[in-house]
Amino acid sequence: MASSIVGPRIRERRRSLGITQVELARRVGVSASYLNLIERNRRRIAGALLQRVARELGMRLDQLDGAAERRLMDRLAELAIEPRLATHTPEVDAIAELIGRYPGWAATLAVLSRSERDATELARTLSDRLSHDPFLGEAIHAMLTNVAAIRSASEILTSFPDIEPERRSRFETAIYDESQRLSNVAEALAGYFDKAHTAARAATPGDEVEALFEANANRFADIEMAAAKLATEIPEGEAPAARRDAAKRLVQSSLSDAVGGIIAASDEVDTERAAARAKEELEHYAIDAALAPEPAFSMIAKRAGYDVEEIAETLRVPIETAFRRLTTLPRGKEIPRFGYLCVNAAGQPLVRREIDGLFLPRTGGACPLWSVFRAIGRPGEANRQLVELPSGEHYVFVARAREMGRARFGSPRSYVADMLAMTEIDARQTIYGERLSNEAPEPVGFACRICPREDCEHRAIDRLTGG
Amino acid sequence: MVKRILLAEDEPNIVESISFLLKRAGLDVDTETDGVAALSSALENTPDVVILDVMMPGIDGFEALRRLRADERGRDVPVVVLSAKGQRTMRETAEEAGANVFMAKPFSNAELVDTVLRLAGEEPT
Repeated sequence: MASSIVGPRIRERRRSLGITQVELARRVGVSASYLNLIERNRRRIAGALLQRVARELGMRLDQLDGAAERRLMDRLAELAIEPRLATHTPEVDAIAELIGRYPGWAATLAVLSRSERDATELARTLSDRLSHDPFLGEAIHAMLTNVAAIRSASEILTSFPDIEPERRSRFETAIYDESQRLSNVAEALAGYFDKAHTAARAATPGDEVEALFEANANRFADIEMAAAKLATEIPEGEAPAARRDAAKRLVQSSLSDAVGGIIAASDEVDTERAAARAKEELEHYAIDAALAPEPAFSMIAKRAGYDVEEIAETLRVPIETAFRRLTTLPRGKEIPRFGYLCVNAAGQPLVRREIDGLFLPRTGGACPLWSVFRAIGRPGEANRQLVELPSGEHYVFVARAREMGRARFGSPRSYVADMLAMTEIDARQTIYGERLSNEAPEPVGFACRICPREDCEHRAIDRLTGG
Repeated sequence: MVKRILLAEDEPNIVESISFLLKRAGLDVDTETDGVAALSSALENTPDVVILDVMMPGIDGFEALRRLRADERGRDVPVVVLSAKGQRTMRETAEEAGANVFMAKPFSNAELVDTVLRLAGEEPT
């Protein structure tokens, strides 16, 4: 394939330098007719002769026969079979000639096709995000409701001139009130898009890493296998923190290839920043897996009724390892599925692993009634909460706060909270399902601005709706 | 005999407008502002037409409609579903749940009144 670029490339370069075929043939020591065959791709050229030709034409070897061209050819060949362009019947057999004769145009075409594909992909992702964004959904609903009230009342005022004054003034007030609300929603929407514009880039690396975990069902078989081998090298008798440090050293010295391989092979992680973050999270994953290797972990977890504290104690691992490890359990009928959220004291989510149907907050300002936020104030105490979402669905949350880093006298302490989330049905397979039916579910939301619970005494900001 | 309409809607300004329009058209109007109350009123009082908003506290309009259709007393009552989310899927869900007519907000007063009169078996004004 590559050599088919070389012939036309030699001819173009020779002509642009104003050298005849006879002259170039003489300089490189072949007959003019042989060079002619090479230029028409009828003879292969390689080795010393290719080097002499490159030198005479003032080109680097890889410019004449390089990987860059092969990639370019592949890219253009891909473009040629793009269904949307099929009606233009691009000359597939002339790709090599195009690259050889018009390398600038060929490269331009390839760059354009790539950026067009990226833009289409981005548009698809954004439109998907828009249609699932709970804030936008609520805001549009509110606007349509306000507009409906205004339209109906104003139509009444124009169609019924005989309307009694007291009623007329009620409709006028309604129009005034609804316009005020409409203007609030419109302002909030404008602010939302302003913010979305600046936040979009910063949010991306995290999104890519979450997509990577989601695509793998939170479980990486390669790391599981490699980490299980490392597990035997971790000293058993040490304290959990010391064992974690040992696992970290082992993972960093011997699993970087496995981690790098996963990132390189993934379709989800695309940018450099996302790759760096993915490396960090996969290393965490590997450390956890080495501390609590499979298949023993699944058995111990089940025996403990998925009690994070008991798991941590039995396996002598930090509590956060037990939390995170539960999200990586293999999928199966008898195995409960756990979502996971870790937040700092400012309520900022640090790590999220969602389960179907439960949207976990991406930013601060989420519903303060979630046990994960209450847990921050009572470190070391695990609490269970049965919640009812505005949709009426029930979930069970188990949250517990812990100190970050090492405690030292006189140094400030900071805490983060871990939370497991499971459906009420899954909870019944765990210790957290005990006596659940005696408990009244606590109504919670996602965030005040989209929460329909108007009378909630914890409401911090108004809901963005018409009512 | 004057036809009776049940209006289930939780937005007070919209309730005000629709009640006014229907009364002017010569109909009696009962209003309810949450899904559970709307459902029991529809089953007990057998109105001639029900206007159901989708987004209501308690049970939503779709759920109220499904339960209404599942009950013998509510099987045949004509229902107009109102929604401020006029997507195609909403219309389909409304039809599947057993709505006679689906109307997206903002609606036209004349169209709403004509529809209700037609479903109630009255001559449009």
